[in-house]
Amino acid sequence: MNVARKIFNIPYQNIRNNVYRNFKITASNCNSSTTTEPQVQEEKFDFEDLKVLERVERRKAKIPPFMKDVFVSIYNRDLLAYPEVLNKEESAALEARVAALEKVFLDPKKSADDRKNALLRTGMYSAPLNLTDNGLAMNYTESLRYLDVIATDLKLGQTISDHWVGLNVIKQGLSSDDYRKLIGDMTSGDLTINLCIREKIAERLLQADFSTSATMDSRGIWHITGEKICHDSSGFLLVLCLVDGNRFKTLLVHPNAQGVSQSGPFVTFHQTPATPLDEITEVALSQAFGTSRLYTATLARSRLLGSLNACMDYLRPRFFSGKPLMEIPTIRATVGDTLLKIYASESVDYFTAGLLDGYLEPDADLEIAMCRNFIVQHAQSQLLQLLAIPGVEKQAECLRLLEDMRSLAMRGETVESVNMHIALNGIHHAGKEMANEVRQIRNPLFNPSFIIKKMIQDRHQEKDEPKLTLYLAEHLHPTLKKPSEQLEYCVLRMRYTCETLMSRHGTDVVNAHTELRRLAEAATEILTMTAVLGRASRSYCIGVRNAEIEMKLASVFVESTKDRVKKLLLEANEGEYLNLDYFRLEFGQKVLEANSVLVEKPTARVFW
Amino acid sequence: MNVNRLRNLLRARPTLFSVRWNNSENKLAIYDPFYAKPKKTKETYLEVIKKFEDQDTRRRGHVEFIYAALRRMKEFGVQKDLEVYKALVDVLPKGKFIPTNIFQSEFMHYPKQQQCAVDLLDQMEDNGVMPDTEMEQMLLNVFGRRGIPLRKYWRMMYWMPKFKNLSPWHLPDQLPGDTLELARLAIQRITSVDPDTRVDTWQTEEIEASLDKTWIVSAQSRTQQVLLSEQPLDEPLVIKGPFNVYLRDQVVTYFILLGKIRPEYKDESDTDDVSNIPRPPGIPGVIGKVTLPQVKSTTHEQDDGTIVAVCATGTSSRDSLLSWIRLLEKNNNPLLSSIPVIFTLVAPSSDVSLFETQPATQNEKNES
Repeated sequence: MNVARKIFNIPYQNIRNNVYRNFKITASNCNSSTTTEPQVQEEKFDFEDLKVLERVERRKAKIPPFMKDVFVSIYNRDLLAYPEVLNKEESAALEARVAALEKVFLDPKKSADDRKNALLRTGMYSAPLNLTDNGLAMNYTESLRYLDVIATDLKLGQTISDHWVGLNVIKQGLSSDDYRKLIGDMTSGDLTINLCIREKIAERLLQADFSTSATMDSRGIWHITGEKICHDSSGFLLVLCLVDGNRFKTLLVHPNAQGVSQSGPFVTFHQTPATPLDEITEVALSQAFGTSRLYTATLARSRLLGSLNACMDYLRPRFFSGKPLMEIPTIRATVGDTLLKIYASESVDYFTAGLLDGYLEPDADLEIAMCRNFIVQHAQSQLLQLLAIPGVEKQAECLRLLEDMRSLAMRGETVESVNMHIALNGIHHAGKEMANEVRQIRNPLFNPSFIIKKMIQDRHQEKDEPKLTLYLAEHLHPTLKKPSEQLEYCVLRMRYTCETLMSRHGTDVVNAHTELRRLAEAATEILTMTAVLGRASRSYCIGVRNAEIEMKLASVFVESTKDRVKKLLLEANEGEYLNLDYFRLEFGQKVLEANSVLVEKPTARVFW
Repeated sequence: MNVNRLRNLLRARPTLFSVRWNNSENKLAIYDPFYAKPKKTKETYLEVIKKFEDQDTRRRGHVEFIYAALRRMKEFGVQKDLEVYKALVDVLPKGKFIPTNIFQSEFMHYPKQQQCAVDLLDQMEDNGVMPDTEMEQMLLNVFGRRGIPLRKYWRMMYWMPKFKNLSPWHLPDQLPGDTLELARLAIQRITSVDPDTRVDTWQTEEIEASLDKTWIVSAQSRTQQVLLSEQPLDEPLVIKGPFNVYLRDQVVTYFILLGKIRPEYKDESDTDDVSNIPRPPGIPGVIGKVTLPQVKSTTHEQDDGTIVAVCATGTSSRDSLLSWIRLLEKNNNPLLSSIPVIFTLVAPSSDVSLFETQPATQNEKNES
């Protein structure tokens, strides 16, 4: 085999690539739109007090939803330029506050009270509010940076992130008078806002999945009845309720309201009076609540980083066979892998925050959900590998880290439900784009010429070798050409996969959960690859410290992820028999129906 | 000339074989030693075999003896006992029937004896008794590797293990003799369609007004309880039965309680139109539906009605079924007190009282 390779090795086989690169990279496909795009500036003035100037937001014009378009293989190449939201002054103010927080949060000697005081001092409890309301007018990029530091104390991190989400909802939902009345209490730091959205899974056949309801009495006061999952009911509570049987409405329950009782992680409301948030629409509500996913991602990443630090503390003073323990290759590989995951997650979080902050009317719902799922999925398996290094020697700490990660993975919702959210939104978008095509594919005998055209069109996709026509490399550093082509391949496969799924199932695609999960995971990885490539390229081009490591991280990440995406999409394309889902589902069904594991022990005999 | 001779020979072959096969006439037994035994148990059965083995070293008439023994098996209740079959095979003399040359093995050495052993194996197969490897050794010692009984044995050992555990409703090797236990097994198997089903055993004594004092094996799942609680008050429930369920050769009679039917799920939408695929609300933590459709959705909802409970009673009488309804009412089905129940029993109650228990006979006395 090796001899054959030696003989038939073609010398200078890179020469073609070089020629291709030289001619193609400078080709006419490059059209940089950033230079010509108008920058929309929004200036908000409070006319009652003209001395105070509201923060200026520099947002670009509205763009089509990025990841939704990726489901139909449309890729906005401009986004490969990693977003830079903050200007010099904002950046300096941010760094100053972060430094003040770090001083307290990274010092193990400081108590929980010290940390809380630091949050108060830096104005974190009122950070999302306007400057005129004594807030910091914090945008998402800044909030992630703050939360990165605050998350070293997980409990505080969870509280403050929910508080931020709650403040944003209240800001949009309450009328300005009510808002001003309440804002003082809410930002004092003593009473935070907690979210009550999720409910228990129904225990009765005829019970709807969502049952907490709100009704208005004759005096015009709203009352809530129902049960929610919420760990802390001491502060303000934002409760999502059903009104008129089918409409969602959020209501604000004040501290110490009557009829609220807590037992374990559940809060029960019995005719609890509440203030309705009438001003906010359902779409805005889902967007505002949705940002809690972005914060969950940051918290999970911070936990993984904490575990890495704990692992390093363990490794440094220990030896094996007369050598430092950290020289063992498997340990190095695990630590390196963890760095990859942390880097990717950080890139995608800030990338998404950039989308939210940098454009008018951003539609980044899907991207936020992907941020959460990426890190939650990878961090759990990575954590198990990482914590195997200290083994039983740091039992208590390992258990705490594991439990933290587990609770973060369940925070607000499960990975599966987020995956379904991603996939169904993506396929909804793709369905709108491809409705006509899918109808024709599903009725081939009515459209023979279309089918032949389609067969010719899809011939490369059938062979799993799509023609790379997006030229992503033109928007990245030339060194990243190969990874960018791999990303391109993944993007181009998405439309074909959506098309296959929809033509196979029609509208019943919503029930093909296992295939949708693969689609969602693949899309998540594509977003992450985009963010990683964009960030590494930017860092290298502007000369950030250790940028060459970032380049390597990006290449390795894309290289390893591409195979995963390729497999996921191929399995989704192949359908339930070839990807063995049919059998897996059957096994599961049998086990559930028989209430046992079915198979006999290996010692069982039928005859002697 | 030669061709004709060959043709004649070929024509003669089937007759030759059929004569040989038919030779194994098994209807005739000169003396039946089993007939005289007053106590018909496994011990006495084995005793007779032992006596036959000891009475004559040549074991004359062993083929007739084995046929006689096979016929008497049911009487002694040993037709499912492998040990007994092995004892019968052991009656055959060892070594004598093993062919020693190619002709012997080709032309069925000792056909009557071989046929007898095959008949024995046949009876085993009919009774579902699987031979073991010791039996193979015994047959090898008697007939050798080329014997027909061995071929039969190997075929049996190919198929029987494959069929043995094929039933999805697995039963213990030995069925219980008690009818109550048998009824429990039957009801458990019927209701295995819903793993959440709870099988209870109640006594009708708990209901004071009951006449039939007997047991009731009742099964109901939580889903069925909910379905029952949704029954409209003006729509009567129906008890249907008796139906038979077989556990091997035992039969158990059971009844079902039927409720209202919910409409079939109908989807008129065009599955080809993917332009507006439904998507979930984006609020984290909000999953599923806020309203439930009132259509057929559970396994209990069949075409002829919704099965809300299943039971078997000791007497299968109308009165015991009435007690069952009252007991169901006491056990988490309060709605039953206000819903009429119709009995549509196919046969009159006296005919289907298969399993009489002592309290029931007392009742009959009372009735008379």
